[in-house]
Amino acid sequence: MALDIPSPTAPQLTASPAAVSAALTATRVRVTSGFHGARIVLYGAVFDPTTKPSDVVVIVRGPEQPIRIARKTKVAGVWVNSRPVVFRGAPGFYITASTRPLDQIAGFGTLRRLGAGIDHLAINAPFEERIETRYGVRDVVVSRLGGDYLDWRRAVVRLKEAASLYDANDRGVTFVDKGLFKAEIDLPTEAPIGTYQAEIILFQDGQPVSRKVRTLTVEKAGVERTLYLFAHRSPWLYGLVSMALALGAGWAASVTFRRN
Amino acid sequence: MDLYLPIAEVSVNAPLLVALGALVGFISGLFGIGGGFLMTPVLVLMGIPPAVAVASMANHVAASSTSSVISYTRKRAVDFRMGGILAAGGAAGSIVGVEIFRWLRLLGQADLVVALSYLIFLGVIGGLMLVESLQAILRRRSGQPPKPRGDRRPPWLYGLPLKMRFPRSRLYISVIPPILLGVFVGVLSAIMGVGGGFILVPAMVYILRMPAGVVVGTSLFQIIITTSLTGVLQAGRNQTVDIVLATLLLVGGVLGAQLGAKASSRFRAEELRALLALIVLLVGLRMGLGLFFTPDEAFVLMTGAG
Repeated sequence: MALDIPSPTAPQLTASPAAVSAALTATRVRVTSGFHGARIVLYGAVFDPTTKPSDVVVIVRGPEQPIRIARKTKVAGVWVNSRPVVFRGAPGFYITASTRPLDQIAGFGTLRRLGAGIDHLAINAPFEERIETRYGVRDVVVSRLGGDYLDWRRAVVRLKEAASLYDANDRGVTFVDKGLFKAEIDLPTEAPIGTYQAEIILFQDGQPVSRKVRTLTVEKAGVERTLYLFAHRSPWLYGLVSMALALGAGWAASVTFRRN
Repeated sequence: MDLYLPIAEVSVNAPLLVALGALVGFISGLFGIGGGFLMTPVLVLMGIPPAVAVASMANHVAASSTSSVISYTRKRAVDFRMGGILAAGGAAGSIVGVEIFRWLRLLGQADLVVALSYLIFLGVIGGLMLVESLQAILRRRSGQPPKPRGDRRPPWLYGLPLKMRFPRSRLYISVIPPILLGVFVGVLSAIMGVGGGFILVPAMVYILRMPAGVVVGTSLFQIIITTSLTGVLQAGRNQTVDIVLATLLLVGGVLGAQLGAKASSRFRAEELRALLALIVLLVGLRMGLGLFFTPDEAFVLMTGAG
């Protein structure tokens, strides 16, 4: 897939003759019964008539997943979850790879504008200012986060990092030859299923000068896919079949053992 | 050999799960319980999403209970009429329990209620059973005759209407207590992800005063009906039954259940009860005491966006 996808939030690029191009070695990750994570390998080239030093940043984002997070508080000697808070805009997977630490490549404002780096992810919790009633339950309290909003945001990132779903590898992009670079990004087993975007940005003098986007699909395949679709398309039949299997297995074992 | 589970979306070690299924199946056959109270916490500790663990466990419990019930039926140790009455209550209870559980998950308090239920129910039942069985063992060791079984049944068992004969259990009682017991166990089983045998067995012995010989088989029979219903409901409504996970567990489970049922004849009843009491107590404490310690991580991610 060599299409360049124009993004509505495409950042203003500095006019420069330099350009970047890149390709994934595989655009599909097949999740089969032996799936144990995958490594995404990306090769790219920097075309630059000048000899300005270049930095390359690769950002891989997974499908967006709303996050529900709660904080444990002590009530009458027992640790209890607070009401959960919903964070929107958090990708289910977010890993950056770069030639140097991001804060050495570009300034705070530039990174923030590009949404590059975990610190610059636009995660927010709009739910805290609304009251939603579901199943007769008042789900959310008004403006509870206020002052410790940052604690909550940091906790989201910390928990995602612990599951290897968020990471920043500041040596993840290496130049293998003049103008030719390679990036490797590891997808853990828990990586969500869906469409991923790999964004490749070329920086010169702290400014983005060229940007490419490649897509990557993580999908279930083979038996995994068949069973998953069965469970979701005809759930009642699936339930009956799996229960029949269970009861049959119990009966079969009993018969076998009686003969012995 | 690691295997990726299609519904749970995690990778697990397949031989380990078969072994776990066999161990829990063995315990299930030995004590005549479903074993869900052991299986569900272990699966969650292994990183399987709780909703999937609770739902898939139902298939495993149904399989290993079927495997042992057939053996008990041959020994004429199942009171099908009593089991059916209990299961009718259990079916109603589990439907209500599934709704309560959904509501608790929306509130974000499902973890708390699950942990507290484990602590309270397993703690109390394990503690009572341990005391009772240790007394029985001590009495036997010191050569005293076993405590005469209180044949005076509580009068309210007889005062209620809708009496029914249960010839296999030699009972003529109202159907109201067994139905209420079934409902209570059904609610708990949906919330805790258990079959409920650990509550049913003592309740049948101490409250309904059923003869010890038919208690285990009857409890397993009602567990099959309740967990079959729960398993199909969970698959149909929540799509949380992982057929690969369930199959791995039940392959070990049905074999273990057979071995357990065989082994059970080698132990004295009160020794078995003491052992079961100890296991129940330990699981209850393990699940519940975490509530009192300061957590390492103050925040928790909740599964599902509600």
